[in-house]
Amino acid sequence: MTAFRVLKWAVLTVAVMVSLFPFYWMLRTAVAPPDQSLAGGIPLWPSSLDLSSFARAWTQGGLGQAMLNGLIVTGSILLLQLLTCIPAAYVLALVRFRGRGWWFAVVVACLLVPSQATAMPLFVGMNLAGLADTRVSLVLPFMTSAFGIFLLRQQMLSIPGALIEAARADGIGHVRIVTKVVVPLVRPAIAAFSVFSVFAHWNDYLWPLLITRSASLATPPLALAVFEQFDKGADYAALCAGAAIVTAPVVVLFLIAQKQFTQGLSGVELPG
Amino acid sequence: MLGADSTAERESREALGAWVVRRRRAGPVGPIGRMAPAFLLAPAMSLLALFVLVPTVLAVACSFFSVPLTDSGSWRWVGLGNYRTLFADPAVVRALVNTVLYCGMTIVPSMAIGLGLALAVERAGRGGALLRTALFLPMTANLVAMAVVFRWIFALSGGVANQLLGYAGIAPLNWLGDTRYSLLSVALVGVWRSASFCMIVFLAGLATVPGVVHESARADGVRGLAKLRRVTLPMIRPTLVFVTVISVVMSVQVFDTVNVMTAGGPQESSETVLTMVWQLGFVYFDLGRAAALSSLLLIVLIAISLLRRRAFAGQA
Repeated sequence: MTAFRVLKWAVLTVAVMVSLFPFYWMLRTAVAPPDQSLAGGIPLWPSSLDLSSFARAWTQGGLGQAMLNGLIVTGSILLLQLLTCIPAAYVLALVRFRGRGWWFAVVVACLLVPSQATAMPLFVGMNLAGLADTRVSLVLPFMTSAFGIFLLRQQMLSIPGALIEAARADGIGHVRIVTKVVVPLVRPAIAAFSVFSVFAHWNDYLWPLLITRSASLATPPLALAVFEQFDKGADYAALCAGAAIVTAPVVVLFLIAQKQFTQGLSGVELPG
Repeated sequence: MLGADSTAERESREALGAWVVRRRRAGPVGPIGRMAPAFLLAPAMSLLALFVLVPTVLAVACSFFSVPLTDSGSWRWVGLGNYRTLFADPAVVRALVNTVLYCGMTIVPSMAIGLGLALAVERAGRGGALLRTALFLPMTANLVAMAVVFRWIFALSGGVANQLLGYAGIAPLNWLGDTRYSLLSVALVGVWRSASFCMIVFLAGLATVPGVVHESARADGVRGLAKLRRVTLPMIRPTLVFVTVISVVMSVQVFDTVNVMTAGGPQESSETVLTMVWQLGFVYFDLGRAAALSSLLLIVLIAISLLRRRAFAGQA
């Protein structure tokens, strides 16, 4: 048993180092003096600290505006996705009706479609609808998520069907069952989905690049890309500083959400 | 309390539930009550139809035409012509082979590492929160910026990857510049990201296993791998199905990491199906062939998911 624990912690230590190393390198590049941030063959620790790249990233990249845009877009997307995915997942997992398997097959089929395949038709459609280069065009295609419906439906399958049917028999409506029974039981999955959704749309690069042109609508990755496209050569320190600034809110969100991951059924009191 | 629920109690509750449902079914159910599930399902389904299914059908239709570069030209029907020229292009064939190789290098390792880490940190007690956050960070990485970091880690001279090989006495590799290693480098970063994804989903799944299951397994002396195989995995089967499907889809649809690290090079050695689609569509503006290649990808994915349905028949 002790040998097993030692092995477990050794593996965890290595895993943590592997996951963190690229982030350490990002911060190290951000705080290194400019002459040390270029080329390979650089020491693990910078010789001196220089925090000016954070200020450069913030002002030249317009990160303040970009993060506000990102907040509005990812926040609206998450809210709309939760409102559409949770009821749909509930119906597909826990309500018996004819043709349920087919509706679920449609969700899985949507999951298989790569976004690169639909990008062009969506782009043309948005232009025809006169919505190109607006905030609406950044949110509209992502109002629901096949991934979210699938994830939540799979977790809801572990809720006993009899529990729901008994609640129905007591005359409790579907909406109240969802809010009072189902949502508390699948809170870990809802937290996980929220984190995935936020990070995916916060970091999404291709769709905002395609559909927006105004600098005032730029999302964080578009703002970061500005550093890569400087004519005078990429400002790596500022790019890494910007990346650190942009990553910070997502990490904070994860810290808040991750409490949910280990509080599952074992700690939840079932009503009734 | 579910935790205190014995099998007998659960069975009696289920029987009671079923009985009440039968009684209820006999009575009148209002039309609104019967329509409620439809109202709950409709928003998601109509949005999926509008923003996924319709564009997909349009893209597939597009694959049968030669699409002109400018707005003024007219579309020309070419039937399967786009598909035929695809297979005649060695770069496309290379991209197909690479995607299969990439899947082989990433799917099983990501899932195995993700499950192992989830089991290890599930009960890590104090410090568990920090561990989970550290292990989840790869998912939050912004690839536009991370690309710079990875190009350094895999740099030929002075890169960290080669420094590590040096400690093991192995000669440095040209990770990103050698046609033999470029796909492997991209796959390593792919596993780095998707293992952390798998871990989080497994954690959410493990959290729904009632504590009483762990207690009775301990009482019965079931431990270690036997417990994993006979107790834990069956309990999280829906999660396992989900992670398998998403891992396959993510690996087949690999795009971001390749695009920022190697852009498919050198000499198409790390080109994958979707980077090829992107090149054909948004670099060469050959929309007909880009649509044909993405349609092919879709057909393969649908075939895989049908096979999966057969493999998991009747089980979620």
